[in-house]
Amino acid sequence: MTISRRTTALAVLAVTSVLSVAACGGGGTTTGSGNGSATGSAAAGQKGGTVYWLTKRPAEHLDPQRTYIGRDLANENRLFYRDLVSFPVGKTGEEATKPVADLATDTGTSSEGGKVWKFTLKDGVKWQDGKDITCEDLKYGLSRGFATDVITGGPNYQLGYLDVPQKDGLPVYNGPYKKTGQADFDKAVACEGKTITYHFNKPWADFPLAIASLRSFAPYRADQDKGDQSNYAIFSSGPYQLQGTWQKGKGGTFVRNPNYDPKTDQTGRMALPDKIVITEGLTNEIINQRLIADSGDDKYAVTDRKIPGSMYSQIDSNPTVKSRSTLVNAPFVDYLLPNFNSDVMKNPKVRDALKLATDKTAYITASGGDKYGVPAKSIVNPDIVGYKDNAAFTGPDAGDTAAAKAMLQSAGVTLPVKIKYTYSGGTPESDNAAAALKQGWDKAGFSTTLDPLTDTYYDVIQNPNTKSDVYWGGWGADWPSAATVTAPLFDSRVNGVGTNPKSNGQDYGNYKSDAVNSLFDQAAKAADVQSAATVYAQADDQLGKDVAYIPLTVEKFYFLHGSGITGYAQSAATSGYPDLGSIGVKK
Amino acid sequence: MFAYVVRRIFVGVIMLFVMSLVTYLLFFAAPSDPARYTCGKNCSPELIEQNRKALGYDKPVLVQYGEFVKGVFVGREFPDDPELKKSAPETIASCPAPCLGYSPLQSATVTSLIAEAAPISISLAFMAFLMWMVFGISGGIIAALYKGRFADRALVGSALVVYSFPTFFIGLSLYIFVAIKWQLTPIPVYTPISEGGVGAWLSGLFLPSLTLALIYIAGYIRLTRAFVLESMGEDYIRTARAKGLPQRQIMGKHTMRAALTPIATVAGLDLGALLAGAIITETVFNYNGLGKLAVQAATTYDLPTTVGIVLVAAAFIITANIIVDVLYAVIDPRVKYS
Repeated sequence: MTISRRTTALAVLAVTSVLSVAACGGGGTTTGSGNGSATGSAAAGQKGGTVYWLTKRPAEHLDPQRTYIGRDLANENRLFYRDLVSFPVGKTGEEATKPVADLATDTGTSSEGGKVWKFTLKDGVKWQDGKDITCEDLKYGLSRGFATDVITGGPNYQLGYLDVPQKDGLPVYNGPYKKTGQADFDKAVACEGKTITYHFNKPWADFPLAIASLRSFAPYRADQDKGDQSNYAIFSSGPYQLQGTWQKGKGGTFVRNPNYDPKTDQTGRMALPDKIVITEGLTNEIINQRLIADSGDDKYAVTDRKIPGSMYSQIDSNPTVKSRSTLVNAPFVDYLLPNFNSDVMKNPKVRDALKLATDKTAYITASGGDKYGVPAKSIVNPDIVGYKDNAAFTGPDAGDTAAAKAMLQSAGVTLPVKIKYTYSGGTPESDNAAAALKQGWDKAGFSTTLDPLTDTYYDVIQNPNTKSDVYWGGWGADWPSAATVTAPLFDSRVNGVGTNPKSNGQDYGNYKSDAVNSLFDQAAKAADVQSAATVYAQADDQLGKDVAYIPLTVEKFYFLHGSGITGYAQSAATSGYPDLGSIGVKK
Repeated sequence: MFAYVVRRIFVGVIMLFVMSLVTYLLFFAAPSDPARYTCGKNCSPELIEQNRKALGYDKPVLVQYGEFVKGVFVGREFPDDPELKKSAPETIASCPAPCLGYSPLQSATVTSLIAEAAPISISLAFMAFLMWMVFGISGGIIAALYKGRFADRALVGSALVVYSFPTFFIGLSLYIFVAIKWQLTPIPVYTPISEGGVGAWLSGLFLPSLTLALIYIAGYIRLTRAFVLESMGEDYIRTARAKGLPQRQIMGKHTMRAALTPIATVAGLDLGALLAGAIITETVFNYNGLGKLAVQAATTYDLPTTVGIVLVAAAFIITANIIVDVLYAVIDPRVKYS
């Protein structure tokens, strides 16, 4: 998932820094274990009470097949959309992202080298109206993603993986509404009693990881489907159901689903609070000021919004507040992309010099310090299965300008080398971070022009003809596998580099390598996750040698929660967001 | 007078059409692709093209505008896909006249979005209007009556200070200190009368309305003071004094009547503009009114919602203008319309 740093609350931030009142003392943040996990407050809670979730960004979709935001994917799974398999509640480290059976009896069986997957539904799993969840519901849910003119905005991996023929770049099956090509879909996804079988056109070793991370494969009841009008309609299969309607920009209230049977659920969902109230549209500053004040209902509140830098001193100096803060790895990695269409960046020595001159420490300091992130050694997040540091990026975090200058001098170019750096700007942090990078580069012999884009960003750098030498990027994996990091970002065939004159897809640096593409093919054919991870690591090594990217930072989530919260946890299972599967309130 | 009002309404309607057309043209002149915004991140060029067709963005701008105008009078259905209507009629959204379009990004008709947001902006605007008219005008009169004395200096001085602060500063200060830190008021949440009664409605409106009102109060104190002082210096006031009329009668009947005419004009226009949404105040207090909806629509290239809000905002301002012009004649008998 791409990320943008553009914010509309610049002025608000500035004012909040003025309004922030410093107290005195010191305290302790609950720090993540390095793999994106943190637990705070009392470990286990009691049933009852109300948990409040305060947030800014409205949910774009609550339709399982259209949801594509990490926070919403996690909350949907914990509250109202169960899947065949899910990530467990209450686990940390690698265990947090090891799928466990949820609606299915087990985590699935694969055959034909990972091209066929089978799952069998448990007995007793029901919808909120008491009807059984059936294999047909699973099949119908998946089919909706093929109606790409109605069910828009969601992940579309199923279009490329399911063994449904394609025509003019789109599958011949166009979803359950028009039903063109239905026979092809029926061949690819078959139901036999409670058993569903998926036929893919290539091996999908980490398919269970995709099911647990996304909601594309969640069941959907055909009689509840009104196409686009069902975007905010929630028909629950989980422990909670929506009370009344969801109001975009305001939120909604979830109460217990009487037809949810915890005996059918081995994921560890505790379903402690009687009610969960989600409020959207609040500013980061207001949310965190309310959590600092910790009064009334806010004692039972959690948030997915980072603490603004202007409030750090207010929190650091107050031990009571600091004890309610957590700092864990976020799923996002910031990185730089040399533009392979730029004359100067075609020279490998210039790219090497750029890498050597990049000061990650200064970038992080300018972005908000250690609470913003830690230096990254790869574009792959450390929470990804099979992660390893990329040897090309294990040099000094502050860069080595002397070595960079020497490299540039041997590159056969005239110094200073003029480069243009295009980034998603418009905030003091992003502009300061860009200035920090420029300082290191210029010291090494570059002459950098900063090009902040404040309106649209990815639309601009997606154009292969954009005249810039270096781009900023941000990425979070769709599921904890390198298959959703390096392949979608650097496979030139998928992104149309060199073939599509209008767009480079997500390969913003216009990188093209047959060797790397071949490694991606090899990894995709792997029958299991670990062997795929090994090949993806080889591809990452090659990307590092080519300086196809320069990793900057693994972002951090620095969150506050109320004093009345129990079982507070954040882990990679919920993309680093608070886990509603374990959270309760003190009685 | 009647003919004048009818003529003004007719011109107003023409203006609304012109504004909607200009919004359409401006929208399509922008460099961004609205179809791209309806597609997820892994969107291929083929999918974008498919969405463009499904949303009707592939048609010429004037054809799209024609369909929009038709929808205002006879209603529309979304998506306009005969095949889908035949195979899955439950997926077709009906938008009865006056249909302002369907927002694919909000999954709702624009009319319903505006109907949800308008009561919030209207409540906020009227509550703020009440506050600023009462305190602004009375403050201005006091300042004029005590010209050069402590009360005048204090009122004018504080008005200048408040006027210098941006709205978001006042809003955030009130929210953080009054509601969060000192807990003098509950956390402001808009509660419709139908859900929480008048008490909850008023309580929720207090801080955001005060935020808006403070800026206007400051302006109206200075405005009223200036107009009252100007009226007090008129010959007919001197004559009234010379005749021995009591001060209350001079102020109420002669001074205020003349001073109120320009204030009514400004107040009407201010209220009209505010009804279309107070962007900053609604954002700070998380009130999902027209202002917040407008920002959301503009930043996501949501054409139908943008056009709908532009029309509603323009309608408010045009209506306010007409009312102000009519009020002019009521307040000041010298004004005649033919």
